[in-house]
Amino acid sequence: MLDKFRNAAAALATGLLCFAAPAQAQPAALAGVTDTEIHIGQWGPQTGPAAAWGSVARGTAMLFQMVNDAGGIHGRKIVYHMFDDQYNPARTIAGVKELVEKSPGIFGFASGVGTSPGLAVKDYLMERGIPWVGPAAGSLHWITPPQKALFALYPLYADEAKLLVRHLVEKEGKKKIAILYASDEYGENGHRGAVAEMQRFGLAPAVEVAVNQADRDLKSHVLKLKESGADAVLMWVNPTHAVITLKTAAALQFAPQWAASSTLSDVPLMQTITGGLWKNIIFASFSELPDADLPEVKKYRDAFPKYAQQGERWGVFFMAGIGFVEPMVEGLRRAGRNLTRESFIAAMESIRGYKGLMGKVSFGPGERQGQREIFLARTDDSGTRVTQLTPWAEVK
Amino acid sequence: MDSLGALPQVLFSGLAAGSVYALIALAMVIIYRTTEVLNFAQGDMAMMTTYVGLAFMVAGGMPFLGAALAALAFAAVLGACAEFMLLRRAKEPSVLGLIIITLGLEMIVFGFASWKWGGEPRDMTIPLAPTDVTVVGGVIMSHLELAAIAVAALVIAALFLFLNRSKAGLAMRATQQNRPVARLMGIRVRRVEMGVWALAAVIGGSAGLLVGPAATVEPYMMWDPMMKGFAAAVLGGMTSLAGAALGGAIIGIVENLFGYYVSTAFKSVVPFAVILLMLAIKPSGLLARHYVKKV
Repeated sequence: MLDKFRNAAAALATGLLCFAAPAQAQPAALAGVTDTEIHIGQWGPQTGPAAAWGSVARGTAMLFQMVNDAGGIHGRKIVYHMFDDQYNPARTIAGVKELVEKSPGIFGFASGVGTSPGLAVKDYLMERGIPWVGPAAGSLHWITPPQKALFALYPLYADEAKLLVRHLVEKEGKKKIAILYASDEYGENGHRGAVAEMQRFGLAPAVEVAVNQADRDLKSHVLKLKESGADAVLMWVNPTHAVITLKTAAALQFAPQWAASSTLSDVPLMQTITGGLWKNIIFASFSELPDADLPEVKKYRDAFPKYAQQGERWGVFFMAGIGFVEPMVEGLRRAGRNLTRESFIAAMESIRGYKGLMGKVSFGPGERQGQREIFLARTDDSGTRVTQLTPWAEVK
Repeated sequence: MDSLGALPQVLFSGLAAGSVYALIALAMVIIYRTTEVLNFAQGDMAMMTTYVGLAFMVAGGMPFLGAALAALAFAAVLGACAEFMLLRRAKEPSVLGLIIITLGLEMIVFGFASWKWGGEPRDMTIPLAPTDVTVVGGVIMSHLELAAIAVAALVIAALFLFLNRSKAGLAMRATQQNRPVARLMGIRVRRVEMGVWALAAVIGGSAGLLVGPAATVEPYMMWDPMMKGFAAAVLGGMTSLAGAALGGAIIGIVENLFGYYVSTAFKSVVPFAVILLMLAIKPSGLLARHYVKKV
């Protein structure tokens, strides 16, 4: 009886070893990478209150298609998985989990609009070591503390807030500055940055007005701005709220100097959807202007008619989808054929002074905020021409 | 102007916003009082109507008024089709089942609009510019806001006359009160219900045509007005036209007062707090009779 038991135990152990041996001999396959493909995901609001930012994800599609048409990266084509999360963090989580946990998995995520949607998946991605490059939101959350697999590009909302406040106070002579901000992480980042910079000048905000994402009626908001006597208003809101604000302000005969976040820097879009009210607006910009006569811009602008979907528009938000992901493509190239997440992260850390559609990008060990350069620009009285007010500069 | 000095302006702005909510509430109420169905697609049907109006203006080159009338005609067809092709086809329907059908309809309409026109916001320019205003006693009234109040008042008056003075209106009331008896009396109740859906879509569509120019036209444009309109309908009592109108005005004014004097960040949730309060104190709503079913 005992012998039978010993024999059975020996057979079971042998069997287990047989099964275990191949697993030790070959490393587990890297999720989202095959001999011929690299699977990359992105979320973005194609519908919902932030749909105007949906062109970011579509811009990335054009970049990946151009890369694939040029032969891919070390023999692999990029397979791009984009989904509509409606700027709703619950949908972002669901979509990301579905992509990551279904075969063949995802190598990494590119860009992705929104601080709140991004925050909803940040820990999930980082716990699994899944690379995420270029979140389309200028939040401090991406780099505080720095995450090994998260490479941020979008200049911080706090930095653009500093630059905007400095310009309004020093160059425009404004003393009563109000802040209109979305009541989420995006708006709060800009809001906090603006308040801190105003304190440096010994100023307090004329009024701080929060906007809920669901709101379509902003009369009480604009009335508060007007009653504060503000001579300038800073905005960290979504494009639709910017439209409603400007239309309501026009009706209430309130005409301060409007100053906008880079999230509202797509001038042709804003001019169109405000019905021509996007005039004389000062805004921060994280990318070259769409009509800039620069080779790095011209390359994509010329390719745009071939690659973009019908009805797409060449503008800052579409360009952002390219610019936020160019360094990821560069990192994949530098990582070589033997692509692993470790080799990719090391390759990303080797990027210094990279210049594509955005400002200069540099990463390094422990350095995860790749771009800090921004500039200010202003639309003219017709709302169609843009003048660059400041050169590209890092905000100290 | 001190903060109390802004009160008339806040009240007027609230009334104007409330007018739009009242239109949505009226649309929901006339369907509910005839069929006991809550139409959760009302907002997105209004959104679709607005897109069609915009298409008539942009692609068809029509002036706003003509495009709006054409869009409202489309709304009537959309409402009638929804009743005829979806609601009527339900086999042995329960009220809950019909409500779920309206949720499905909402998803279909939203999905179609997103597919057809994309998610990006669009401008709807109308002859009334945002800067067209009339100032009365220091209160700035934009002509678009005045138009919203006027449309809501006209719709309420027309509905009142229609339901109380016309045969079709009488048929609607009879269908609401006792469907089998109405049928026995020779009323073609299914046609009546189809007519109600068409009428509701037109009223809701007029709300969409007022919301679009004030902001942007986009697939989700009616989510907030729809929720506030539903809140107004509940507040008014779900079966009362006057209650729906009053509910809309109250919701608009209360949320603007709260937004201006307390917090803009939580302004959107105030209407729902009002509903909770109302359901706790007077569940039948402001102006509806409390139903007691004999057993």
